[in-house]
Amino acid sequence: MTNYMLLAPELVLTLVALAIMLAGLFFGTKHKNILGYVAGMGLFAALSLTIGGLAVNETLFYGTITIDALSQFFKIVFISVSLLVTIASIKYTEGNKNTDEFFTLLLFSTIGMMVVASANDLIVLFVGFELASLSTYALAGFEKKNPKSMEAALKYFIIGSLSSALMLFGISFVYGMTGTTSIPGIAENAGALAASPIGLIAVVMLIAGFGFKMALVPFHMWAPDTYQGAPTVISALLAAGSKKMGFVAAFRIFMVALAVLSPNWQTAFAILAVITMTLGNVVAISQTSVKRMLAYSSVAQAGYIAIAFAVMTPMALAGGILYTLSHAFMKTGAFLVVAVVGYMVVSDNKNAKDIDHLDNFKGLAKRMPLTAFAMMVFVFALSGIPPTAGYVSKFILFSSTIESGLVWLAVIAILNSALSLYYYARIVKYMYFLPAIGGKVSEPRPYAVAIILALAGVLIIGIWPEPFVYWAMEAAKVLMV
Amino acid sequence: MAIENLAFLIPLLPALAFVITFFFGKKMYSGGALIPIGAIAISCIISVLITINLLQNPEEVVHQSIHWFAILNLGILIDPLAAVMLSMVTFVSLLIHIYALGYMSHDPGKSRYFAETALFTAAMLGVILSDNILQLFICWELVGLCSYLLIGFWYQKPSAAAAAKKAFLTTRVGDVMFLTGIIVLFSGIFKVYNGNLPEGIYVLQFSEMFNLIPQLSAMHTTILGFEVSQLTIITLLFFGGAVGKSGQFPLHVWLPDAMEGPTTVSALIHAATMVTAGVYLVARTFPMFMGAPDALIVVAYVGGFTALFASTMGIVMNDIKRVLAFSTISQLGYMMLGLGMGAVVGMEAVGVSMFHLINHAFFKALLFLCAGSVIHSVGTQDMRQMGGVGKIMPITFITMLIASLALAGFGIPGTSIGTSGFFSKDAIIETTYLFAEHTGNYLPYIFGIVAALLTSTYIFRLLFMTFTGKPRTDYGGHESPNVMTIPLSILAVFALLFGGITKKAFNDFLEVTFENDFVHVSMEHLAELGNYDLVHGAGHEPLFILWLPVIVGVAGLVISYLIYYKKVVDMSTIVSRNNPVYKLLYNRYYQHQIFIELIALKITYGLSLIGEFIDRKIIDGIIDGISDGTIAIGETIRKVQTGVVQSYATAVIAGVGLLIILLKLIVEVQ
Repeated sequence: MTNYMLLAPELVLTLVALAIMLAGLFFGTKHKNILGYVAGMGLFAALSLTIGGLAVNETLFYGTITIDALSQFFKIVFISVSLLVTIASIKYTEGNKNTDEFFTLLLFSTIGMMVVASANDLIVLFVGFELASLSTYALAGFEKKNPKSMEAALKYFIIGSLSSALMLFGISFVYGMTGTTSIPGIAENAGALAASPIGLIAVVMLIAGFGFKMALVPFHMWAPDTYQGAPTVISALLAAGSKKMGFVAAFRIFMVALAVLSPNWQTAFAILAVITMTLGNVVAISQTSVKRMLAYSSVAQAGYIAIAFAVMTPMALAGGILYTLSHAFMKTGAFLVVAVVGYMVVSDNKNAKDIDHLDNFKGLAKRMPLTAFAMMVFVFALSGIPPTAGYVSKFILFSSTIESGLVWLAVIAILNSALSLYYYARIVKYMYFLPAIGGKVSEPRPYAVAIILALAGVLIIGIWPEPFVYWAMEAAKVLMV
Repeated sequence: MAIENLAFLIPLLPALAFVITFFFGKKMYSGGALIPIGAIAISCIISVLITINLLQNPEEVVHQSIHWFAILNLGILIDPLAAVMLSMVTFVSLLIHIYALGYMSHDPGKSRYFAETALFTAAMLGVILSDNILQLFICWELVGLCSYLLIGFWYQKPSAAAAAKKAFLTTRVGDVMFLTGIIVLFSGIFKVYNGNLPEGIYVLQFSEMFNLIPQLSAMHTTILGFEVSQLTIITLLFFGGAVGKSGQFPLHVWLPDAMEGPTTVSALIHAATMVTAGVYLVARTFPMFMGAPDALIVVAYVGGFTALFASTMGIVMNDIKRVLAFSTISQLGYMMLGLGMGAVVGMEAVGVSMFHLINHAFFKALLFLCAGSVIHSVGTQDMRQMGGVGKIMPITFITMLIASLALAGFGIPGTSIGTSGFFSKDAIIETTYLFAEHTGNYLPYIFGIVAALLTSTYIFRLLFMTFTGKPRTDYGGHESPNVMTIPLSILAVFALLFGGITKKAFNDFLEVTFENDFVHVSMEHLAELGNYDLVHGAGHEPLFILWLPVIVGVAGLVISYLIYYKKVVDMSTIVSRNNPVYKLLYNRYYQHQIFIELIALKITYGLSLIGEFIDRKIIDGIIDGISDGTIAIGETIRKVQTGVVQSYATAVIAGVGLLIILLKLIVEVQ
């Protein structure tokens, strides 16, 4: 007997998404604004249902779907990000005739990510992955009249397809050698993979496939262009949400299915982590577009999280998992701040160019004090300064790295954190120490609400980390069988 | 519901009051003052109820703790020591807040004032009921911050801004020592457990710290050729923090300047509560001091010397608040002296010292508020411009007289008749006598007695110069409103009667502070570790010794009476720039010259010039080189990002290929 209640969050979201799609046919542009609130309520309901089912540990549909601490943790990450993005998008989509499509796609991509989080079978995982990807391809190109947005979507789509192909290639190798697509099944038969050189190729193919979503160097090159060109709220979704989908998939496949091959992929991830964080931070320094800078910072953050694969102790995994939650809040928050600043610049001057240029942050503390303060907290969290979520996550991750003996890796990561402060602090300097151009502006309410929620998340995890650490530990236990 | 469950509200309510008043106070009645007053009143009620409960059931110590993260916790510990402090701080703070309603009524920034005093009260309450040293330190720092804000409340005045800075920097010296002490303590504990801190206990909790005293005292380090116990280092560093906060020599210099704030702030922070935090810290960690050789003797000497040293300066000040400031320093010295006497009387020292702390809080708050009442009415702080104020402000005069008698310690030994100050100060002097008798070292006793003579002299000088005689200038004052005089009268009752009524009960109550389910230490055992020889069966001092403090008190009164009322001696010959003693005292032993001009401007500034050179030329050079290099690399690498999607795809495929080759090589090497 399948207990469909366990899938209630996904089912609710599916129904809401379909309802919005249907409503879009009949509503005039003026009334479509309400659809954002509907999507928000649907996400909130899904969030409540997921939190309600935290302690569940079951598999469904002949073992292809699993509901456990890990899946619930990541579902909460995805839903939280989508919720924040949805709230902010209520303002972004105001007066747009395609509002219904926007929210439908947003919800579909969320469902896709949630399916990936629960997938216990490679085919289910792939389907979820594609559902999320296809929805976000369209969302990245949501501004049809804006060539930059189109370019962003196209690049994202081309590289995304290539990566999907690589991933499928890897999956087919794994299936060919083990005869199954079920993740626990692969784990049982992985001996054959380990014995053959095919195993190594399969591992690299899968890393490349997931590395695309995670934006690990050298599979990251689409990210800066796409994050910059896409609507800023969608950049937030990509950087904070769909990137994590790559991580949860990689956690399950490498830690559970391919655990036998760990000598191979541990080394691979260690190398990629170092290259990714260093390249991300170094290139971020010379960016003048805040969105691009955040994109590279997001690449660097992926490098930190990838340390969890290289270290692979329960504490490190918990650190990596907690990092995804923290990163979800701080990155979403930072992108939403950029979105508000963009809104401010456009309302100053309709034909403004380079709305994400660093110069627009000058004197932000005077123009929008709340936003400036929030941005300061977000960038400090990203660089890992207490008492923020970023500090707690980095502390756990790096200290577990040192404990496991990979001191060199921890040293590189810490030096990178110091380096990153250069470009993060520069934003703070622009906001607080340079004179303002233009008068005080009040933030549109939806943006303000979303930013305050993200700010609360960052600070609560930073000041009271205990329950979140415990929670991440529970999720990590799923991987350490 | 048991009252203990509300203990967390004691610091929380004033903290909430801070938030509300700070953000919304401006629009409320009288700057939102009623919110902190209400919050502190409730805190006060809870504190007093807990204290009463504890008095009846001494074993029902309140201890609540929640996990914070890693090996740290947040917790509340209310034992007798904390209970009396809580009750005193909330009560005095409440009265001062009420008084401030009148005193600050004309100030445009009063909502900020009430918000800050509420935060200050919350922080101080946090210090008191912390159950671990780290949480105590956090609140301790918050107290320091609030004192900075409040001393510089009138920040437009350059002297106030300077005083705030001075207070902050000076106490910072102590804070750094305190923090160092915590670090040394932690590393010591780490060593005790050989690096494996046990699960489930919080090592910075007082109970755990006290359990580890024997191991810590067995650890030794060699400093400058002396072998010192780790515990001695820790306790002396803690005491360093206390020296800063409680204005002990040589870090007392900030306290007189701190009088730049509103007088209510002086009463709240620099008399009744904040400066007692240092004394409280030593009392709180008293078992550690007991286990550390020589630490208590240092406490005693610093305290005794400060008591004497500050009172000499009190005699020559002309600013009414500065006299009281030096008096505070001197009285805090007494409290430290009392704690130091633990070397012979053990746990009783805490009782004696805390008793003086509580009594002092009442009469010193009263003195400050009376002074504030005078300043509010006369419009000057210079006593040379006052005179005859007693006629127009009778209530202020009478309450001030009571406070002065309490400070000077008037009473009849052997009976229950006397002011609060009499019972507590006498008790301290008696213990110093016991110490002298027992060890043959009379110095602490002499400090105590001479300081008592000077105390009485300066306070009656203040009284005569201010309230008696004829007005020396045309000031035209009035008695203060009821909202100010009622708190004065309440405090006066406490200053007069509290000591006599509670003397016996108080000591018995505090004696069991470190004997309960949460903290259990044996003072005898600790005294052995610290090489202290405890005396039992005190209280058999000769009659002369019991009477001497009172005699010197009366003597001080007589001296002041003759000089400042009867004017039998012409002061102008003494008060002159040619008299070296007067000059020395008036210039406060040239501390300003020594601290600012010599230490700060010559030595520190010189060192910082050298530091600046190294920093700018060498370290910055290296850093700049690294950063320039990094930026250049970034500029180069970013050119790889061409924007052409074909090259991105190439990078992906090339990445896959390279990764396969690389892994193959690594696996084969392994």
